[in-house]
Amino acid sequence: MKTIVEAKQIKKVYGAKGNVFSALEDIDLTVMEGEFVGIMGPSGAGKSTLLNILATIDEPTAGDIVVDGINLTKMNEEQLSAFRRDKLGFLFQDYNLLDTLTVKENIILPLALAKLNVEELERRADEVADKFGIRDILNKYPYQISGGQKQRTAASRAIISKPNLILADEPTGALDSKSATDLLESLKDLNEQDKATILMVTHDAYAASYCNRVLFIKDGKIFTELVKGKRSRKEFFNKVLDVLSALGGGANDVI
Amino acid sequence: MTLFSLARKNIKGNFNNYFVYFVTLVFSMVIYYTFTSLQYSEKIQESIELSDTMSFMFGVSSIILILFVAIFILYSNSFFTRKRKKEVGLYAILGLRKKTIAKMLFYENLIMGIIAIVIGIILGTLLSKLFAMILIKLMGSIAEVDFGISILAITQTVIVFMVIILFTSVQGYRLIYRFTLIELFYDEKKGEQIPKVSLITAVIGVIFLVVSYWLILKPFPDEFTTEYLIKNYGIAFVALVIGTHLFFRSVTVYLLRLSQKNKSRYYRGTRIIETSRLLFRIRGNARTFTVIALLSAATICFLGATYSGYYSNEKRAKEVVPFSYSHLSKGPEFDSQVESIIKADHRHPIKAQLDIPVIQVKGILSFQLDYDINPVKLISESTFNKVANALNKDETVSLSGNQAAVIQPRFTEYTKSVFKGENITIQLHQGSNELPFVHMVESNVLPFDYPDFFLVVSNEMFAEIAKKEAPLTYKVYEVENEVTAQATSKKVNKLVGNDFQVSSSFYTEYKQGKEGNAITLFIFGFLGLVFLAATGSIIYFKQLTEANEAKGHYEILRKIGVNKKDIRKSIKRQSLFVFGLPLTIGILHSCVALYFTSNFISNLIGINLIFPILMAIVFFVIIYAVYYVLTVNTYNRIVNK
Repeated sequence: MKTIVEAKQIKKVYGAKGNVFSALEDIDLTVMEGEFVGIMGPSGAGKSTLLNILATIDEPTAGDIVVDGINLTKMNEEQLSAFRRDKLGFLFQDYNLLDTLTVKENIILPLALAKLNVEELERRADEVADKFGIRDILNKYPYQISGGQKQRTAASRAIISKPNLILADEPTGALDSKSATDLLESLKDLNEQDKATILMVTHDAYAASYCNRVLFIKDGKIFTELVKGKRSRKEFFNKVLDVLSALGGGANDVI
Repeated sequence: MTLFSLARKNIKGNFNNYFVYFVTLVFSMVIYYTFTSLQYSEKIQESIELSDTMSFMFGVSSIILILFVAIFILYSNSFFTRKRKKEVGLYAILGLRKKTIAKMLFYENLIMGIIAIVIGIILGTLLSKLFAMILIKLMGSIAEVDFGISILAITQTVIVFMVIILFTSVQGYRLIYRFTLIELFYDEKKGEQIPKVSLITAVIGVIFLVVSYWLILKPFPDEFTTEYLIKNYGIAFVALVIGTHLFFRSVTVYLLRLSQKNKSRYYRGTRIIETSRLLFRIRGNARTFTVIALLSAATICFLGATYSGYYSNEKRAKEVVPFSYSHLSKGPEFDSQVESIIKADHRHPIKAQLDIPVIQVKGILSFQLDYDINPVKLISESTFNKVANALNKDETVSLSGNQAAVIQPRFTEYTKSVFKGENITIQLHQGSNELPFVHMVESNVLPFDYPDFFLVVSNEMFAEIAKKEAPLTYKVYEVENEVTAQATSKKVNKLVGNDFQVSSSFYTEYKQGKEGNAITLFIFGFLGLVFLAATGSIIYFKQLTEANEAKGHYEILRKIGVNKKDIRKSIKRQSLFVFGLPLTIGILHSCVALYFTSNFISNLIGINLIFPILMAIVFFVIIYAVYYVLTVNTYNRIVNK
């Protein structure tokens, strides 16, 4: 199996002399192809910082990151943009859809930016819309659809360019439980059937229970790691809850 | 007092937010003060001996300026308060009483206004000196520019602006009462909706534009009455305003929608983002676009028309008064007196000196001409050719027998074909002569005097008629560098008196025209600059507000993988549309209007005005382009840091 993410000794320090805050300290992380990895931890533990660094939106203070064989730290802005467009798919808590575009236009945006031809673009749009069940809202605008539909639109956009890695930052954070479950089921299908590699930051133990593996971060360091293995989702969920309470403060964050 | 200090702290704390509004205030005041102080300056009034239309022109322009400045301030004030609704809502939620908030907003606006007045007057004093120098340079006077501080101008500026500021302050006071708390809070959340395409309004818009263009370009009717002027051009103007608005509201939406249909173009690169953004913003921008297009059109027209006048003054003067000096011979003593004055001016040596014998007769045309021709003035072929030679014109005539050539009467548009095949019967004391027209020439001989109907006849014919009707002799002089012959012209004018309707010396006619044109050019140039600065600023500030709102939008794009270079390109393209569209429409409008005015003007003086009009447009576009670059850079800095 191929290694998708290989991060070594990642450090992130905020602030200047005298008032330094270290968000990440020597994090090592490896994600293999086809894995569905969760990252959990209390507020301020550095989860989002880690994700942003992997997403190339933020730069690490020190350390090496290799994604799909490409070293991120050695790229310039233009290369990073192209890398994000071609290799990564994003899913955010606040959807990050463009208000001015229809659902369909939002979904195909990455392909349009990559200047793919129209037939291929339309075909793929239909394909992902079917996968997430949003075919009948394709011509609507984001302000006309519900939160759940928005997040499924965002998910469609994240996968349409067939990225090597999907990064999700609290994707269920703003959804009601029904919509959240729908989305998580979709992500699971994506992971199992299409062998998509997913890295998801979450607060929610229920969301984390859909992963194959969950990393726990505390104070910028990896605290522990749980692997689902042969366990049922329910058992895994309880395990996650146990770790969270051991982590302290984490359980309060469970939404 | 605590309230007063809260208001003061508010301004100090959020100076950036207030800055834009404050600059607008100061800008308006500087302009208004500069203008009024020029108006009241004695120096300016003095240096114009010949044009008495000045104070009238200044008065009218001052009213236009007040209106403009008031609208501009009210516009930016409402723009400013709209941005602050949330802040006001927050004060209310934190438990400040409505009355307290209202008072605070009132004081705030008042303080800013008063500071702006002080700064405006200081800057205005400096600027008015500069503008006065420009005006005097344009007029070509060598007057001293010495500017004191004009109390009258200060008083007038303070009064006008206090009224406007009090009005906006009261508006601020009423803000909290006009809206409910919820409205204050959710104002910015009102999502703009994608506009629906309405083919009908688009078509109506185009029809309105076509109709107004047609009305403007329609050739003049035979009878040119005020009623016609008001009816025809009034309707044209209204149609133009409505048409322009509908154009931006519907036609652009329609065109953008159409461009979305072409999927392989639309779904390629960042075009999808720009098109959809423009489409979304168009409803909100339509009114601004309309105002800007119309203001640009008006500015270009002002500049074009007045610059044309200034530009063509020398040619016009040369046509009205062909020679440097002309006078009717009144005996050898008088003539030599004039001659010695002209000869005494060594800085303007005589290039040519001619005697022009003219016979005045009564004539009857063989056809109907709506021009009073009597008395007809006859000159001989050789005189005409000598004149043409002296004035460096290559127009000559050669006639034989009783053939005659007509000189095109000035300020008319008669063509050769009007006279072709026709003749004139001139009545002499004994009998009459029928002279067929064989030619029409355009070189004028003497200063304009109505009726301006000259006939050139063959030398033999002239000699024959001269036996029966004694000719008058005009003495004309052409000197070097006639445009500067001020002192001599004055002396000659004094001596000669009113031989003609216009001045008998070229310089006086030239100077008079130049001063008149300089003032109009200055006033309209000034107004043009104000409009230009205002339109540019409106787009600039509007784009910046939009940039602040669009920050999130571009952040998403960055995350999806659009690089900085592409975002910059996308901003450029978007701004080009926002700046270019109203400008294009404005230029189109002004071209139509200027085509009309230049037809009007060049018919009168026979000068091609393409060059000055083009200059005005180029000047406008250059300043506009500066605003464009400024906008792109700032926009980019905001969303693409």
